[in-house]
Amino acid sequence: MSDLVLVADDDDDILLLVTTRLKRDGFEIVSARDGTQALELAREHVPRVAVLDVGMPGMDGLQVLEAIRADDSLAGTRVLLLTAKAQESDVRRGYDTGADAYVKKPFSPAELAVRVRELYDGAR
Amino acid sequence: MSSWRTRPAELCVAAGVVAVAVYFAVPRGSAQSVIYDVIGVGAAFAIGVGVLLNRPSPALPWWLFAAGNLFFAVADIIFNVLVNPPVPSVADGFYLAAYPLVAGGLVLLLFASGGARRYAALVDAGILVCAFVLLQWVFVLDRIVDGSGSTAEIAVSAAYPVMDIVLLAGLAGFFVSAAWRTPSFLLLVTSVVLLLVADEVYGVSPDSYRSGDWVDAGWLLSYVLWAAAALQPTMRELSHPIRRPYRRLRVGASRIAVLMAALLTPPVVLLVQDARGATLEIPAYVIAAIVISIFVMLRLVGILRALEVIRARERSARADAEQAQQLLAAQNERLLEADRLKDEFVALISHDLRTPLTSIMGYIELALDDGLDPPLDEERRSYLEVVSRSSQRLLRLVDDLLFVARLQSGRLDLAPTRLDLNELARQSAQEARARADTRAIEILVQTDGPVPVDADRGRMFQLLDNLVSNAVKFTPDGGRVEICVSREDEAVLEVCDTGVGFTDEEAARVFDRFYRTEAAVERQIPGTGLGLFIAHAITDAHGGRISAHPRDGGGAVFRVQLPLAESRA
Repeated sequence: MSDLVLVADDDDDILLLVTTRLKRDGFEIVSARDGTQALELAREHVPRVAVLDVGMPGMDGLQVLEAIRADDSLAGTRVLLLTAKAQESDVRRGYDTGADAYVKKPFSPAELAVRVRELYDGAR
Repeated sequence: MSSWRTRPAELCVAAGVVAVAVYFAVPRGSAQSVIYDVIGVGAAFAIGVGVLLNRPSPALPWWLFAAGNLFFAVADIIFNVLVNPPVPSVADGFYLAAYPLVAGGLVLLLFASGGARRYAALVDAGILVCAFVLLQWVFVLDRIVDGSGSTAEIAVSAAYPVMDIVLLAGLAGFFVSAAWRTPSFLLLVTSVVLLLVADEVYGVSPDSYRSGDWVDAGWLLSYVLWAAAALQPTMRELSHPIRRPYRRLRVGASRIAVLMAALLTPPVVLLVQDARGATLEIPAYVIAAIVISIFVMLRLVGILRALEVIRARERSARADAEQAQQLLAAQNERLLEADRLKDEFVALISHDLRTPLTSIMGYIELALDDGLDPPLDEERRSYLEVVSRSSQRLLRLVDDLLFVARLQSGRLDLAPTRLDLNELARQSAQEARARADTRAIEILVQTDGPVPVDADRGRMFQLLDNLVSNAVKFTPDGGRVEICVSREDEAVLEVCDTGVGFTDEEAARVFDRFYRTEAAVERQIPGTGLGLFIAHAITDAHGGRISAHPRDGGGAVFRVQLPLAESRA
């Protein structure tokens, strides 16, 4: 497993926001702009943590999460879901699919960094 | 109707019955005659009093009744003074003049109430009168006309049965149309019927009559009841327009019986006369039967027409109903569509407003980061802090609006778990402290022992956060906010502040959507008027209650009562 953090979001501004904040905390980042690319990069780099936006065109965050969970080589990867949907039912669905953490938009970048750190340190 | 209005009629009947009893108690003679005359004249005047007292509109029919009865009374006096005078006499003149007056009064009432336009009623009256004419002819008139005596005597004698026919015609028309079941109506009808019966008994054998015979009771009670009818307050209703629908088809049993009797009159009378061996006036029976048959035909035609009208109305009503139903279905469809569009809109807003807000708030946080190199100067930092606060407020507004929209479409799904209200109170105090500290507001939490409730954690936190941040918002710098959790029959949570408070009237409305107190508007304290509405909705959804109380010396208390969680065995 690499020490990378994978970040996937279709919104460039948010992608930049997350990567900038995580880089400040010293994380090494690979970023993807859609679900398909995110899954490819995950298989290529085997990141410790994947931060996935739920609402992406094509393959959405939940589908990427499912694919990661179905892939034995990615068993160690921790997944954090990022979503604009604030419904309780969505959160439950995310956890049911195998997410390790859930952060709702809008989020505090500092808080997100803390959650990513927790997952990063927990992933061995 | 007050009792003093009905009393004159009751007094009249009581006095009348006593007078009639006295009349029959005293021996025949002039004293008895005087009592008779007093009753007659008294009745005529009592009718006049009744008109003045009750003021019917129109009054003319009742004045005609008064005049008619006065004529009867005057005729009685003359009859008594002359002591059974021969026919014709002056008394006959008054008697015969009285009948058209009272019959005219009845007909006028019929017109005033609109009964004259009731086709079926008039036809029924015609049938009744026809049968009565036959009876009068066979049993009274025929004998008078064929009897001995001068032409004048025969003419005057024959005039009485004819007048009775006139009176019955008036009564029959009136009977089928007037305001049924009012006391005045019943009194009046009984009175006229008594008059007719007495006339008939007298008319069958006029030569055997002497003053003081029992037949006098009919005439005397007719006087008394006529007067009582005029004194009764409901007499005004007799000329009121009839409210019953014109083409009502229901025919009462009593009416059927009366019409049946009228129909059967010609054959029955024919049989009776034949059995008695009397001479049979065949043309009279045939004419009567023909006229009655024509009336029955008219009545049938009327009923058939009414049926057609009703059917046509039913058809058009059904068509209208169908059309209305279709319209309703279409409208329902549109409403559902509108509701769906609203939901889509809400979902869209939810996503599209949050995405840019995420960028705004996230980048402001990055910009304000203390670790930046070079560090931000104070002026720019203060600008960005304003942007930060504003975007926080905007996010809160979006969240509140979305929550209310979801609430209205009934989609507040709760996921209740076992919670400790104390812990929740401490958490929300912790959250609010950062903001309170900047304004030197103290936040205290008072608890004693765990207070378990089964509630949705997220919603409960939202409820507490709404109340606590509200309290902080409305409390001036250096003030104090207390959160007290206690366990009574239910879980009780109180948030008290030393803020601007509200009036008793405002207390009743603070939970209304978009409501803002005067103080909040005056002091420009930011808010949308949704926070407490949401707090109320959340409490409601958990089966609890929330109330607002102004505090003595300023400030407010918000009290939330929730059902305690049942202890696990």
